[in-house]
Order: sequence, then structure tokens, then C-alpha cells
Amino acid sequence: MDDDSRFADFVAERADALLRYGYVLSGDPHDAADLTQEALTRLHRAWSRVRRKSDPESYVRTTMARLHVGVWRLRRRERLVWDLPEGAHLDAPPSDTEQGLWRALEDLPRKQRAVLVLRYYEQLTDAEIARVLGVSRGTVRSHASLGLGRLRSAVPHPTTADRSAR
Amino acid sequence: MSDGLEENLHAALHRAAERAPRAPGALSSQVAARSRRRRARAHALFAAAAVVVVAGGTGLAVRGAGGDTAPPVLSPSPASTAGTASRTPSPPAVPEPVEEVWPQAVWKIPARLPGGGKFQPRAFIDDRTVLLETWQSFEKANALYAYDLETGDVRKVTDIRTPKGVFASGYSVGEGRIVWQTIEEGAGDESKGTRVTKFWSVPVGGGEPTAVTTDRPVVGRGDRLAVTGGRLAFSRFEGGVFTVPLGGGTVEPVPGADRHHILRWPWVGTPSEYTPDGEPSFEELLNAETGETSRAAVRPGERNVRCGVTVCAGDRGDGTSFHRSRDGSQELDLPSGVSAEPALDRFYAVHLPRPLGGQYLYDRLTGRSGDLGLRPNARGESIAITLSPGVNDGRLVAYPLKGKYVIIDLERLAEGS
Repeated sequence: MDDDSRFADFVAERADALLRYGYVLSGDPHDAADLTQEALTRLHRAWSRVRRKSDPESYVRTTMARLHVGVWRLRRRERLVWDLPEGAHLDAPPSDTEQGLWRALEDLPRKQRAVLVLRYYEQLTDAEIARVLGVSRGTVRSHASLGLGRLRSAVPHPTTADRSAR
Repeated sequence: MSDGLEENLHAALHRAAERAPRAPGALSSQVAARSRRRRARAHALFAAAAVVVVAGGTGLAVRGAGGDTAPPVLSPSPASTAGTASRTPSPPAVPEPVEEVWPQAVWKIPARLPGGGKFQPRAFIDDRTVLLETWQSFEKANALYAYDLETGDVRKVTDIRTPKGVFASGYSVGEGRIVWQTIEEGAGDESKGTRVTKFWSVPVGGGEPTAVTTDRPVVGRGDRLAVTGGRLAFSRFEGGVFTVPLGGGTVEPVPGADRHHILRWPWVGTPSEYTPDGEPSFEELLNAETGETSRAAVRPGERNVRCGVTVCAGDRGDGTSFHRSRDGSQELDLPSGVSAEPALDRFYAVHLPRPLGGQYLYDRLTGRSGDLGLRPNARGESIAITLSPGVNDGRLVAYPLKGKYVIIDLERLAEGS
């Protein structure tokens, strides 16, 4: 199997999952598409080295996280035609709390949001997050605590609110 | 942490992820091509600086400071990938507006109710009446209205009240009644919680909603409903098709449909449209009334295969899209830019290439096309419609446009042409 077909297999298998990751990272479908596209392009250029030395998926995910929090600016929108499924199929509507949290995430600085996504979506440890973002563990902890604090004040007592409805 | 914030955040992120866009089938070859162009350009920068500056004069100014003149990798449309910095692509042929191509099946109605309220069109009640849902907050319905397309009259059908965090969904109309469901979250997190679905109905003429009582709780999340022969038919997101008398009573499973979902009654199938691993949707079908079955032909290398009652559509390995009978015969090409999801087994939404953007409606049976009139705003964002059996009632296409709501009746469109 040659490199290109291995790359094609990787993209076919993982692109949708990467788009989901890009979407929770950025909160925006266009940014999700652009992050995925850019990270996969970089992966393609580094494919043989990455395959030899590390895991392509973690390479792409790390690239996406760093692109998103870094100085890389999304050169997008005019250039990206994306087949966005409007009113995408949801298996169940999100609760008020979930909607509130999703909206509150929009107001977080990118690094805080990235730390929370890596912790609560990717389920990484603080040490792993520090490695992905290239920062210290203390920085991860402070971003996480600041981010959670802001979410908590934006969506007060989510559990209590949900329970009172039942 | 004791306040549940972390659990809620985990659930919110996973739920939101379901709304992420999906990758086009030809993504890897497009990414590879872009990567090679980028490498070639890096060489060209050293070899022919003067040429690059000229190209930059026409191309880079348009694209901003990024300096990346590569065409959009994710674009499914050849017309937009063909445009380069030094060439002006010829303008694409834009079809005539939908309301001119199919005047008998397209309406433009005010986007607000007489009282000023916003609404969402949900289904056809009959050939001239559309069911509208109003919201008290995001996606939380508080009333249903009937809009008469011939007279423009609006009447309230009923008020809807649901507990906090519970939403009405899945509207279906039949035998003089409007039915819908509500899904209540059980205790525990997303993976462990037990959800229970309840069903409701109201006469189309108006009245109070009544519960369609079930002899036992319906565990799981309802996905689609239908009204048939005095009974409410429903399928669960987790799989399984059941019926219950419209007046309430015993829930009966449809034999042989324990993994199935309603496609278009009496056709039920598996898997549903929700195919996280890229499986063909509705690959297996069962007629719940006659027991007839059908298995769709799928070829190696095909992606995003979406099937209807008689046809399937999808992407070939080379990035082109097909439409054919479920048995694999009569294969035809779909236009580039198509969202290969058939509605009523013949209609497709097709993206117009950028920079124009927008979508048109394409009838595979007659070959006719009508421009939906949607165009990107200054930020390049536009509303995109999705056609598939799971959207609305499988017949209604509705979208806001310039202060109006455009209403399209696919069934009438199919009858008239």
C-alpha cells in the first residue's frame, strides 16, 4: 500500500471525527472545515515522517488545537464552499443548560476554550493538554479554572435548574 | 465538582459535535492536490519571483493577506476549483428562480405572523395549508398555527406547554390529526440516562393537545412519526418501529422491524439517516404493511450513500455523484455541487459555485432546475437547505428569504411535472 492510499484511508476514516473536533474547538462550522482542511494539508506534507514516528491522528489534532489558539488566522469564508447541513439532524434536542453552555463557550478566550475542549471533549489529562498546546501544566490549570468559572457564572446552577423541571 | 458543570459541559460538547459539517467524499484527493500545489508554489517563489508578483496583483488582493492562492479544497464544485488567480472563470449558468420554474408549487409568505411573531414551517396539513410552529425560546415550541396558502389566513391550532428542557418535535399529519412527540431526559448522563418519549395529538381544526397514552413507557428517543389506519406509528432513534392506537392503548412492535426507522410509511428501514461510521442510510427496507423487503446495492469505494424508497444517491471514489435505482440499475450522474440526498426519490439540492454561491433545486426525473435565490452574505455565509426524508415531513421545503418565507411543496411539484 503506498503513502497516498494510506493517507486517503486515514482521511476517509477520520475526517468526520476531525470535523466534530474542529467544530467544538471553534464553535463555527466554517472554521471547523478550515481547521480540518489546513491540518490535513500539513499532515499530507509530513505524512511519511509522521507515520514513522508518531500517530497521524494525534498529529492532526495537535495541529488543529495549535492553529486555533495560535496566530494563524482563518483565511476563510470566501474561499470555502462547504456543504453545511443546515438544521443538521440531532438525535435529541439539547437541554437549556447545554445550549447555555454552548453559547457561553463562545465568549471565552480561545485558549480557555481549547483547554476545556481538550479536557471535557477529548478527555485529556492536564499533562497531555500542556503537551498539545505547548504550555506549562500550571497554565493549563489556570485556563481551565478561569474558563469553568466564567461558564459557571454564565449558566448558574445548571443541575439544580434541570432538576427543578422534572 | 459537585454542581454538575463538568458533566454538563461534556454532554454539551458532545451534543454540539453532532452538528458539525460532514466531510465530502473526495476530501483526501483534494487535500493531497492542495498540498502538492503549495509545495510547487514554494519552489516557484524562489524560481520566478517576478511572475509571482504579477499573479499576486490579480489574485492575492482578492484573497486577503493569507498569500495562499490555492482554490478551496473542500469545494465539491469543479467550477470553483477551476478558478485560479490569473483566469476569470466564466460565470456559471444560474437556473431560473424556483417560483418561475414551478409556479404551482412555490409560495412566498410573510416571515412573521400578524402579531409579529416568528415561526418555523414544519409540515403540510393539506394541499393548501402549512403547519407553523412558534417558539418561546430557542427550539422550544409554544404554539402551532395553520397558514392557508391560498388566502393568507392564519389560525391558531393549539398552545403547547412542555417542561423545562423538553421540546416538541417530529410533527406529522394524517387522518385529521397533528401528532408530535416530546422526549424527557432520564436521570444520569447521556450514555446511562433513560429517555422516555411521549406522544401528543390535536385535531387539525384546533383544540387542546391530548396525550396518546401508552400501556408502558416508551423508552428511548422517538425519531419519526406517521399516522396510519387510526394508529400512530413511530420509530425510535435506537431502532425499532411500533404502533399505538391514536386514542391511546397498547404499543405493538412492527414484526421484523426491531432495528428499523420510519422512512416513508409504510416503508421502514435500517440504518437510519444517522450513520456515524458512514454506512449507507436505509440500506435495508421493509414494507410494514406487506412485508416486502429491499436491499440497496452499494459498490466498493462509494461514500455517503443515502437511500430512499426506490433510489440511492452517493459519491463515487472520484468525487462525482450518482443517482440510481436501489437495485443498482439505471445509474445516472448528478450535477457537481450536489448534496446527494434524494427527497421523494427525485429531488436534490445543488450548490452553485462560488463566488455566486447559493443552491438550486434539481429534479432528476425531468432534469429541470430552479434557483432557490439563496446567496452568501458579505461574510460568505449563506443559508443552506437540506433535502432528505428526515427534514420536515419529507414534502415541505421552507427557508427564509428577504423578509419572506419560501414554501415549496415537493409533492405538488412532482405531480405537476
